[in-house]
Amino acid sequence: MPDVTVTIDGVTIQVPSGTNVVDAARMAGVAVPVFCYHPRMQPVGMCRMCLVQIGTPRLDPATRQPVLDDAGRPVIQMMPKLQTGCTTPVSEGMVVNTVADEVKFAQRGVLEFLLTSHPLDCPVCDKGGECPLQNLTMQWGPGMSRFDYNDKVHFEKPVPLGDLIYLDRERCILCSRCVRFQDELADDPVLGFDNRGRNWMIISKSDPPFDSKFSGNTTDICPVGALTSSDFRFRARVWELDSRPVVCTLCPVGCNLSLDMRYNQLMRVMPRENGAVNDIWICDKGRYGHRFVDHESRLTTPMLRRDGQLVPASWDEALALVAEKLAAVRQAHGGSAIAGLAAPRLSNEDLYAFQKLFREVLESNNLDQRIGAPGEPALDDLGALLGPGTGSDLAQLGAGTTVLVLGADPEEEAPLYVLRLRAMARRGARLLVANLRPTKLDRSASTRLRYRAGAELAFLRGLLRALSDEVGTDRLTVKSSGLDQLRRALFATSLDDTAAACGVSAADLKAAAATIASAEHLLIFYGAEARSAGPAVVETLGALLALAGKAGQSNSGLIALLPGGNSRGALDMGVRPDARPGYAPLAQPTIGARDLWNAVQGGRVRAVWVAGLDPAASLPAARAALDAAEFVVVQDLFLTETARLADVVLPAASVAERDGTYTNAERRVQRSRQARPPIGESRPDWQIVQGVAQRLVQAWVATGAPAVPAKGPKDGKGARGARGGVEVGAVAVAENGGWDYLTAADVAAEIAERVPGYAGVTYPALAATGKPGSWGRQVNEAIYYDGTNYENTEGVGIKLPSLIESGRASLNLAPLPVPATADDRPLLLIAQPLAYDGDPLLRGSRLEAHVPEPYVALSRADAERQNIRPGDIVRLASSAGELALPARVVDDLPQGVALVPANLAGVGLATVQTGPRTRVSLVKVVV
Amino acid sequence: MGLSEHIVMRELDIPAINDFSVYRQHDGWEAFADALRTKTPADVVNMVKEAGLRGRGGAGFPTGVKWGFLPKGVYPRYLLCNCDESEPGTFNNHQIIDRNPHQLIEGVAISAFAIESHTAFIYMRGEFAAAAITVERAIAQAYQAGFLGKNILGTGYDLDIYVHRGAGAYICGEETALMESLEGKIGQPRLKPPFPAVAGLYGKPTIINNVETLTNVPRILARGVAWYRSHGTEKSPGTKCFSLSGHVNRPGNYEIPFGVPLRELIESPEYGGGMRGGRPVKIIIPGGASAPWLTREHLDLPLDYESVAAAGSMLGSGAVIVLNDTVSAPHLAYKMDEFFKHESCGKCTPCREGTHWLVRVLHRMAEEGHAHPEDIPTLHGIYTQMAGNCFCLLGESAVMPIKSALRLFPQEFEAIVRQSQNGHAGKPRPAAAQHAIPLGLASRR
Repeated sequence: MPDVTVTIDGVTIQVPSGTNVVDAARMAGVAVPVFCYHPRMQPVGMCRMCLVQIGTPRLDPATRQPVLDDAGRPVIQMMPKLQTGCTTPVSEGMVVNTVADEVKFAQRGVLEFLLTSHPLDCPVCDKGGECPLQNLTMQWGPGMSRFDYNDKVHFEKPVPLGDLIYLDRERCILCSRCVRFQDELADDPVLGFDNRGRNWMIISKSDPPFDSKFSGNTTDICPVGALTSSDFRFRARVWELDSRPVVCTLCPVGCNLSLDMRYNQLMRVMPRENGAVNDIWICDKGRYGHRFVDHESRLTTPMLRRDGQLVPASWDEALALVAEKLAAVRQAHGGSAIAGLAAPRLSNEDLYAFQKLFREVLESNNLDQRIGAPGEPALDDLGALLGPGTGSDLAQLGAGTTVLVLGADPEEEAPLYVLRLRAMARRGARLLVANLRPTKLDRSASTRLRYRAGAELAFLRGLLRALSDEVGTDRLTVKSSGLDQLRRALFATSLDDTAAACGVSAADLKAAAATIASAEHLLIFYGAEARSAGPAVVETLGALLALAGKAGQSNSGLIALLPGGNSRGALDMGVRPDARPGYAPLAQPTIGARDLWNAVQGGRVRAVWVAGLDPAASLPAARAALDAAEFVVVQDLFLTETARLADVVLPAASVAERDGTYTNAERRVQRSRQARPPIGESRPDWQIVQGVAQRLVQAWVATGAPAVPAKGPKDGKGARGARGGVEVGAVAVAENGGWDYLTAADVAAEIAERVPGYAGVTYPALAATGKPGSWGRQVNEAIYYDGTNYENTEGVGIKLPSLIESGRASLNLAPLPVPATADDRPLLLIAQPLAYDGDPLLRGSRLEAHVPEPYVALSRADAERQNIRPGDIVRLASSAGELALPARVVDDLPQGVALVPANLAGVGLATVQTGPRTRVSLVKVVV
Repeated sequence: MGLSEHIVMRELDIPAINDFSVYRQHDGWEAFADALRTKTPADVVNMVKEAGLRGRGGAGFPTGVKWGFLPKGVYPRYLLCNCDESEPGTFNNHQIIDRNPHQLIEGVAISAFAIESHTAFIYMRGEFAAAAITVERAIAQAYQAGFLGKNILGTGYDLDIYVHRGAGAYICGEETALMESLEGKIGQPRLKPPFPAVAGLYGKPTIINNVETLTNVPRILARGVAWYRSHGTEKSPGTKCFSLSGHVNRPGNYEIPFGVPLRELIESPEYGGGMRGGRPVKIIIPGGASAPWLTREHLDLPLDYESVAAAGSMLGSGAVIVLNDTVSAPHLAYKMDEFFKHESCGKCTPCREGTHWLVRVLHRMAEEGHAHPEDIPTLHGIYTQMAGNCFCLLGESAVMPIKSALRLFPQEFEAIVRQSQNGHAGKPRPAAAQHAIPLGLASRR
C-alpha cells in the first residue's frame, strides 16, 4: 500500500497507508500509552488511554483539494473531540498532537479512573515490575488520586479461569485483550464476559474451563496483574529473575523461550520474540512443561550395576567401564555389534558427537533416533530435500500464498503452528486443510478436504493429476528423474475414478489444484497421520510441490511435523541407520531401531547405548532385548524403564543446563543457552559421549592397535587437523582423535565444518544476527507497548537452504510401489499424537492433570453398530495382537477409524500395531 | 390548540385503530399497496426526503438522507426498527405499538421497500412483553392479508418482519449495541466507522429508524408531502409525540406540531394542565435523561430541534420532564447518574469508572449528607474527564445531569458541604422532595 505522510508532535514521517495513529507514532519515535490496544490484534478503542488530538487538511468542498493558508501550507482542521489513536488510521497530511494539554488531561483522567477500581496491591502482585498499569501511571498518570479509598469495590478473588490461570477481578481493567487473543489469534473462543458496567467480568465459557493450549499467553498480554499463572503465582518477584534464553525442545516448532531463573532455580518460562518462529507467543506445553528440569527424580550421579543393583559411582568409574566394555565388544565382534539410539530432542552437538563416536571410534553405523516401535513411520527426508528455501519467513506470507496441510493436527503435534497458520490465513493466504477427520484447524481453513480414511495416496494423486491438467509439467525446473513413470501412474485412472476412490469430488480436487497452481508461494505441512500413510504419500507431496514449480524456492516447501523437538537436526546429523551426516547415503544397510531388538536377541548386536529414549516403557520386545543384551548404557534425565535395565546409567544435563543448537521443522538452526550449572553431577550429553570417546581413543593410541578407524568424511577433510594431531597408522587423527571439545561451541564449529548444509552455522554467526539493525525490534516493542519483556538477545537463528536448492540432491518423481494389504479388518487404527501425552518431560508440571486416560475414539456409527456406549471397554484386534481400551464416541469422526492416542503411558499400542497403519477389528468386552 | 388530525397518535381520532379491520377501513396498508404498485423505491425515498421527516429517536437526522447513505448494489440490506425505548422519561413508542401498531408495521414495510430490504427486525425493549404480543399479532394479520411474506400483492416484492425482544439494557437502544444484541452477542456499542449503513447487522448495510419515525411514513405517502409539511416548522416539519412527565397535572403523551412553546405544553389544559399544586417550575429536562437541564427561563422556548439546541440542550426523544421547586438538584443528579451507572455497559474506562465514581460521591452527598469541600471540584473533575472521551454517548449522557446541576444550582451543593462541615450531616432533601422524582426514573432502578 502506498505511504502517507503524517506529522506527529512535529515529526513528519511516511508510514504505510492503513497504519493506525498509535503505530505511526511509534515509527516517529513518539510513545502513545495503550492498554486495550495490542499490535497483534484488531484495535477496539475501549480503554481510551490512547486519546490524542488529530487534525486533517481542510478540503475545499468543490475541488476536494486542500485549502492552503497564506504561506501555502494546508490549513489543518482539528477534530473537535480527542480521538483514540488505535482506531484511527492515518490519512495524507494528518497532524497528530500527543502532548497537548487536553491530551495530557485525558490521559491523566483515564489513569485516574482505572485506579479508582484498582486495589493498588502492587507489593503482593505478580505483575509488579513488569506492569503496564504501574509503568504508565508513573509516566502519564496523576500523582494523586481524588478517589476516596473507602469507596473501592471489592470482589471475590482470585477466581480460577482454569487450573492454569487465575483471575483477580479487582485488578482487571477490562481491556479484553485475553478474550480477543483467544478469539482472534488462538481460535479457542473459550473466554467471554458476564454482567456489565463495573460488574463486567471475564469468565471462562468452556468445559473444562479455559480449554486452550495457548492460555498462558493471556498472562503475558494482560496489562495488569489480573491474569496470573498458577504455575508462577507468588513464587518470585520479576526483578529477581534472570532471563536465560533457551529453545523449546518439546515439539519441532522451536519456540524461543526465556527461562526466568532465581538463584539457579527455574521460576517461570516466558516467550522470547522471534518473528521467524513464534512471534511473541508460546504454547502452554512450552510454558508449563519445563518443570522437569527441577524434578526431584532427576538423575544426579552416574550409576553402575553391581550385584544386580544400580549403585552410584564416579564419572571416572562409569566412563571407564563403558569404554572398556564397548572396546571389548568391538574387539570380539566388531563395531557392528554395537548399536546406539539417541533422542531427537537432543541438541545437534549431542547428536553429532553421538554418531561420531559410533561411526569414527566404534566403527558402527547402527544408529537411530527411533525406538523400533511398529507405529513409527519411515524417516523423513523430504522436509530437508524440499524444505522452505533460504530467506523463507512465514511471518511475511499472506495473500498470494497457498498452504496445504495434509494429515496433520498441528494443535497437538506442534501447537504454535496453529497461530502461525491462522496468522497467514488472516493476512489473506489460502489454507487448504486436508485430513480424514476434523481438526481444530478446520475452523481457520479456506477449504476443507475430507478424504476417506486410508485414501491419502488416492487423494494426493487426484490432486496431482488435477494440477498437471491445469499447469502441465512445464513448471518442473529442479533436477529430477522419473517424470514419465509419474505421468503414467497419474493418467492410469481418470480423475473421476480417483475422486471416487478418495471421496473428494473431482470438482473439489480441481478447485484445490487451481488454488495451488495460482499461488505465488506454496507451503505444504504434513503431520504424523500423513506420514503414517506411508512414504509414497510424502513422496507425492514432493511431486506436488515440484510440479507446481515451487521446489527449491524461498517461502515455498515442505514442512514435516516430526515427533521430536530436534528431529530435523537428528536427521541432518545422521543419527539414522541409512545415512551419514548431511544425508550422505550409506552403501550398506545397517541395523536401525526396527531391526535392533531382533538383532540383540539373535546375538548380532551385543551392546546398546540409549541416549534420551525409553524404548522399554512402551515396547515389550525392547524390554526383553535390553534384558538379554550383553551391555547396556543409558544416558537420560531420569531413571526411565530403559535405564532400570542398564548396566551403566549416566546422568544428562537438561536443556536448562547446557548450550546447544536445535534445528526446527523449517530447518532453522537456533541457539539455546545454558541457564544454570548442571544439577548434581549431570553433564551435557555431548560431554558424556566425549568422555567415553576420549578413553577409547587414548587406549588405542597408547596400545597402537587396534587402529582408530579412518572413517573421515568423504570430502577428504579428515578430522579436525587444525588442532594438531598424531599419525596412527595411515590416518590423520587429532591427538585426542578429534575429541578435545572444550565447549559446545567447539562441537558446533566442527558441525559447521563437516556437516553439509551447516557451513557457517557457528555460535558467533548465530549470535551475530542479534546485532542492532538486523534484530532488536522487540526492545522497542517493550518500550512502546509496555509490560512483558519479550526481549531476544540471542538472534533469530539461521535458516538452512534446502538440499534441492543447494544442488546437493535431485528429486525422484517415480512413484514408490505401494504394498497391497490383504487385511480386511474393518477399522483403520490411527495413532494420534497428543500434546499432553505420556512424555516423562511433563513430570512436575501442572499439565500432568491434562493428560487423558487411555481411550479409543470411534465414530458414532461404528459405535452404535456394536452397541458401544462411551466408557465401554472394547477390544481391538489385529494380526499382531489385541488391546482393550475404554471407548469414546466422537460425533464428527468418520466411520472406519479407531483413533488411539499415541505415546500415552499405558496404552500399549505396540501390542496391536503391525505398522504405522494397522487394520483392526473391534469387539465390545462384556463384563 | 390541539391537532385537528393526528399523524402518529391516530387512536385519538379513531379509537379502535388498533383493530386490523378498523385500520383497513381507514385506508390502512393502502399507502404500502400503492407504493408497491405505482412507485419505485427511489420515489419513496424522495418523498420522505421532501417531506423533511427527521429521526425521532433523538438525533433528529433527516430520514430520507440517512436512507441515501446505503452503498449502491450491496445486498442484503436490513431495516431495523428501534423500539428499545429505554431513555428515562420516554414512553411514546410504547403507546404507538400498543394503540396504533398497524401503522408502525405499514411504516416498516414501506421503509423496507424504499431501501430495498427484504428483512426487517423490530427490536423491542424486553419489558414490553404485552405490547410485543400486540405487535406480533399485527404482523401475523398483515401476513394473513397478504401485505407481508413472499410476492406481496403479486408485485414480486418479498418482506419478512421479525420481532426481537431485548433483555433489558439501556445501551441496546444505541444502534450498534442493538445490532450486537440482535446478533445474540453481549449488548455493547461497536466501533464506528464502519457505520451501520455500510456494515451493520451481520456486517450488511443496515438502516435503523425509531418507531415514531417509521409510523410517520405511511401518512406521508397517504397524504402527500405538502400536507405533511403543513405541520411543524420549516426545518422540523410534522409533529412530535412528547412524553410529558414530572410535576404536571396531566402527564402523558401529546402529539403536537414542532415549534409549540414549552409553556404551552406544560400549561395548556389540553396537555400538561399546569404544575401540580401551582408550584413553580424549577428544572425542565426537554429530551430525556441525557439532555442538559433547562429552567423556568426557557418556558417560552419553541419545541423544535434547532431552538432547543440553541438553548444548550436537545430535543432528543421528546421526553419532557418538568420538576418543581421541591426537587433537590444534587439528589436529582444522583438519581439520574445512578441510572447511567447501572446501565453503563463497562466497555470503556471513563463511563464504567466515571459513572461509578460520580455515584459514590453523589450518594454520599445527596443521600447521606456527608461532603468535603473538595467534593465539588472533584465532581467537576470527574465529568470533565468523561466528557468527549467515552466510547459511545452513554457516558456523555451521564455527564449531563451532574454538569447541569452544578452549573445551574451550585449553591445547593455548597449548602450540603457547609452543613456537613458544620456537623449537620443528614438527608439534605426538602421534606416534599420525596414526591419529586418522576415515577419513570424511580422505577428504572
